Amino acid sequence: MNKKHFDCIVVGAGPAGSTAALTIARENMSVLLIERGTSPGAKKLFGGLIHRSAVDEIIPGFWERAPVERAIVTDELWLLDQTSAVKIGFTGLNYAKPPYNKFSVIRYKWDKWLADEAVRAGAFLLNNTVVRHLVTEQTGLKAKKFIGVELDNGEQVYANIIILAEGANAALTEEAGLRKPITAKNLSLHTMELYSLPAKKIEERFNVGPNEGAVIGAIGYPFAGAIGKVGIWLQKDTIALTVGALLDQIVTGKLNPYQLIIQTKKHPLINSLLAGCKLLSYGSHTIPKGGYDTLPQLFSNGIMVVGDAAGFISGRRGADLAMLSGMYAGETAAQAHAKGDYSTKVLKAYLNKIQDSFFYKDIKASKESSDYFHNYQDADFLITKTANELAYEFFHVGLENKKEKMKKMKNIALSIQPVLKTSEDLYQGVQHWGFF
Amino acid sequence: MEDLARVLKHVDIKVATDSHIYLKDPDICKDCAEKPCTLFCPTGVFYWDKHLNITYEHCIECGACPFGCPFNNIIWTYPPGGYGVEYHS
Ligand SMILES: Cc1cc2nc3c(=O)[nH]c(=O)nc-3n(C[C@H](O)[C@H](O)[C@H](O)COP(=O)(O)OP(=O)(O)OC[C@H]3O[C@@H](n4cnc5c(N)ncnc54)[C@H](O)[C@@H]3O)c2cc1C
Ligand code: SF4
Ligand code: SF4
Repeated sequence: MNKKHFDCIVVGAGPAGSTAALTIARENMSVLLIERGTSPGAKKLFGGLIHRSAVDEIIPGFWERAPVERAIVTDELWLLDQTSAVKIGFTGLNYAKPPYNKFSVIRYKWDKWLADEAVRAGAFLLNNTVVRHLVTEQTGLKAKKFIGVELDNGEQVYANIIILAEGANAALTEEAGLRKPITAKNLSLHTMELYSLPAKKIEERFNVGPNEGAVIGAIGYPFAGAIGKVGIWLQKDTIALTVGALLDQIVTGKLNPYQLIIQTKKHPLINSLLAGCKLLSYGSHTIPKGGYDTLPQLFSNGIMVVGDAAGFISGRRGADLAMLSGMYAGETAAQAHAKGDYSTKVLKAYLNKIQDSFFYKDIKASKESSDYFHNYQDADFLITKTANELAYEFFHVGLENKKEKMKKMKNIALSIQPVLKTSEDLYQGVQHWGFF
Repeated sequence: MEDLARVLKHVDIKVATDSHIYLKDPDICKDCAEKPCTLFCPTGVFYWDKHLNITYEHCIECGACPFGCPFNNIIWTYPPGGYGVEYHS
């Protein structure tokens, strides 16, 4: 590296880091964006969806030029049992038109595009480079400030502000003393396969138009004794299947992620959706699931933490929250730059912006969610089983009269009472699946 | 795990010369009854054969093992810049 000092260094060119770099570059500040992969997104495989409303604030009308795959019009939640499914869903064709609602994207393309936006605005992107350590300077007996980073070739590069956008593992955030060690209880592990299928076939099979997409979330299978989620996501001519559960439950339940994928594919209702698909890729990643109690300290002298590294996940949303937090940190960096003060006094503004955001309030409101999951490891499985039994009974054309039928259904519903004691529990359960 | 070998053919990994995964203390693994790492790793990087073997060449960087090992015995670092798993689609 020739240049040794920047106004700002951003570690990690994911959605959070590239948005921070973009925001800072727009302010005509010098910013170095460091990525360990050969290009941004090269390390990433995810379903997944980008929620339009948040991203629209950062890059208005982004869908005109961003590599989006399909506009999602159908969202379904399946309560899966061995040979049946209760399906809850919504299709809104208005979502196929501007301003849209959500898009499926491929990270390899999306992350690269977003980083390119930052570069076009003036950011300097350094690929193939791991930041191994942070560089600090003592400013008092106990006080220190962050002044730079150490790269994997041993070189040091300096900046007035460091933004950590390093994703879920957050090793540097821990090194900085900004968060407690992560535990298996605070992470979920998601594994996925990506398949190719011609666009026309996808559209026929999932009953969507060209450029329209669907997403299916499923629970209850193949997990017993773990809170797990299955996801099916449509891109232009690919389909992603993801299977995930809390890491501590994978560990104690002796579950193997690859076997979970295999088992999921064997479910007859999923199997038929994937018929004729060709396997393209296999991947896996953790998602922070600690919730409010495990959020790190978000800033210190000369440093801010954004995106997954800061634990900003709410339901199925992460990438767009990462981008918003990146924007807030970028704006705060610009304020600090204007004042020539990079201490906590000015960087505190970042925390204020986060605290004002809708997602912080959501994360705070779902404070009990991880406790709930840990107290009721069987909840998904049992609710799903019961729902399917009820549905079988409901749709079954038998010879009993209505009153008898009602009684039968009531007995089935009562059988889950030991697990779900109150309707409050049931409500909590549905809330925490967070599908809609 | 023959199937896993087949699936790994679809994963691009640029393997570095040195491992990026190591153990704090191999003796701890001897006393670890369940050896959960041999199960929770999505590509079967860890396997037991007299001692814990680490086929770091198959690591897809999911980030689970440093947190999944109940004894905190796995030190997992990033492979050198530009190495490791890579997705093109
Ligand atoms: C299977 C799966 C499905 C998901 N589905 C959705 C979805 O549908 N919608 C949604 O909104 N979110 C989804 N998410 C969550 C989403 O992926 C994350 O919230 C989002 O990627 C967070 O962005 P980030 O920029 O904070 O971190 P990341 O995307 O993890 O980016 C971090 C970047 O930093 C780089 N890096 C890390 N450390 C260093 C270092 N020391 N030096 C250099 N570079 C480094 C990494 O290579 C990476 O490029 C999903 C996640 C998974 C695993
Ligand atoms: S889980 Fe940890 S302690 Fe047990 S065998 Fe694996 S690495 Fe060793
Ligand atoms: S990071 Fe994931 S893929 Fe790599 S060794 Fe650890 S558990 Fe296995």
